[in-house]
Amino acid sequence: MARYGMVIDTKRCIGCNACSMACKMANNLPDGNWWTRVLTEGGDEIDTPAGIFPNVSMRYVTVSCQHCENPACTKVCPVGATYKDPETGVVRQDYDKCIGCRMCMAACPYTGVRSFNWEEPAYSVDFAIGDADAAPHQKHVVEKCTFCYQRLARGEVPACMDLCPARARHFGDLDDPESEVSRLVKERSYEQLLASEGTKPSVYYLV
Amino acid sequence: MAAVVTVIGIALWVFQLTSGMVNTNMRNLDSWGLYITMFMFLVGLSAGGLIISSVPRAFGMEGFGGISKVAVWTSICCTVLAIGFVVVDLGQPLRLWELFAYSNLGSPLMWDIIVLAVYLILSIVYLWATLRAEAGKVSNTALRVVSVFALVCAVLVHSVTAWIFGLQQGREMWHTALLGPWFVSSALVCGTALVLMVVIALRRAGYLELDQKNVVKMVKMLGAFVCVDLYFFGCDLLTEAFPAGSGADLVAMLTTGALAPFFWIEIIGCAFAAVVAFMPALRRNGLIVVAAVLAIVGIFCKRVQLLVGGFQIPNLDMPAVASGPGLTDAGAALQGAGGAMVYFPAPLEFGVMLGVVGLGALLLLLGLKFLPLRPVSASH
Repeated sequence: MARYGMVIDTKRCIGCNACSMACKMANNLPDGNWWTRVLTEGGDEIDTPAGIFPNVSMRYVTVSCQHCENPACTKVCPVGATYKDPETGVVRQDYDKCIGCRMCMAACPYTGVRSFNWEEPAYSVDFAIGDADAAPHQKHVVEKCTFCYQRLARGEVPACMDLCPARARHFGDLDDPESEVSRLVKERSYEQLLASEGTKPSVYYLV
Repeated sequence: MAAVVTVIGIALWVFQLTSGMVNTNMRNLDSWGLYITMFMFLVGLSAGGLIISSVPRAFGMEGFGGISKVAVWTSICCTVLAIGFVVVDLGQPLRLWELFAYSNLGSPLMWDIIVLAVYLILSIVYLWATLRAEAGKVSNTALRVVSVFALVCAVLVHSVTAWIFGLQQGREMWHTALLGPWFVSSALVCGTALVLMVVIALRRAGYLELDQKNVVKMVKMLGAFVCVDLYFFGCDLLTEAFPAGSGADLVAMLTTGALAPFFWIEIIGCAFAAVVAFMPALRRNGLIVVAAVLAIVGIFCKRVQLLVGGFQIPNLDMPAVASGPGLTDAGAALQGAGGAMVYFPAPLEFGVMLGVVGLGALLLLLGLKFLPLRPVSASH
């Protein structure tokens, strides 16, 4: 029994989008799909600060599936195509089972995390890239970040961890008090996205 | 005619499935659209018929003069349509069998599927029992028992449909305990209005005889239901607006923002229906039909507000690259231009909708033609 979680240091994140790219390549995401995205907390445009110089503020919040301990999505799926993996605490998505009702997209409070393949997935290159064991994408089903489940199964960490040049991301078992993520959550002050929704996300943002 | 529209609709649906739902105007940030709006709306419409005919019987009161069979048939057609709209909304309708193989009984959508199926079967049993009772083959007590079950199921079906939305904590517009009772009251409004329209039309066509006093009774009921519905709306608006927090944005969106046309059509339409219902001088057939139409249009507008309103205001409203198509180009442009609706149906969606509605019209007309639905002397 584990509860895998991610701790993201917003003081270190430089908003370079390398995690988005690493995710996209590892999981061979179709054109237009991004399972992890960099949100700018500041102005009205990407990479712009709030306020007027010199009183400006800006930070980046990288958002992917929060792998909630109390997920809103898994409760409403009529066929159990999205479910919480009891071994790892990862919220998974079974493309072969999904009937495409999009109930999970209505239920998830985290805007833009879940995406539906509205047409046959298309790719910029005509061969599959990334992990050979990543599940193939399908038309008319919902998909999202899986914490790179295929990598976890091999004992590796999610792809977004690998390329982060600022070392802003930490991954591990939140149930293990000795793990790096547990330690960081204990030592540093943190925020969670939309904590008031009661979903208990497994992603923590250090502030 | 209705058959032709149905066939065209099915062809459009096959097109939607083969060349992709990208041809609809639903996208990741407005992931439900016209189909689910129509689903909510038709579940509501289906109530009226059943309730109008079962309430008097269940409580042993005087009925509305032999229209109960027509009313129940209307409601059966609406239920079939509601199910049809869920099916055309699915990305993978061929996997529908999974609903029975892998049922997640915790999902409100699953509850709705179960209760809709029970409701459909009970309505048919009720219609059959009414017909057999007229032939003297079923006792009135048995019929009364069936009518009580049908009534309970009708209330349940609307509550469960409301819970599909009302139990989502992530959508502020939907997340209220009032939604269940409110769906029941809206269902009563548009259901009663539909029955009124159908019986006035059928009376004019000479299909059935109906005393004007029964029409007046139904109009008064319509007025009462409209008032309850507006009262619920008022309660909800006040509760959202009073803390002046994020709920105030919702109220602004409805009264002056992107959804204002739908909001005001509903309010004015329903208020007009109430006025016609409560002013004896205005209870003329023409005005009654206008009031009924406005009440139905008003409730449809309410469904639009509820559906689009759930998606209109994102929880994480920070600039970023969108995953997949967040909104259609049209939707994004409209919203960039200043807070217009995030969603407006594509022509394909209107086409498929007409197809499904055509199927309902076909069912309704076939039933009127081939089923013994005309009132007989002992039918109430």
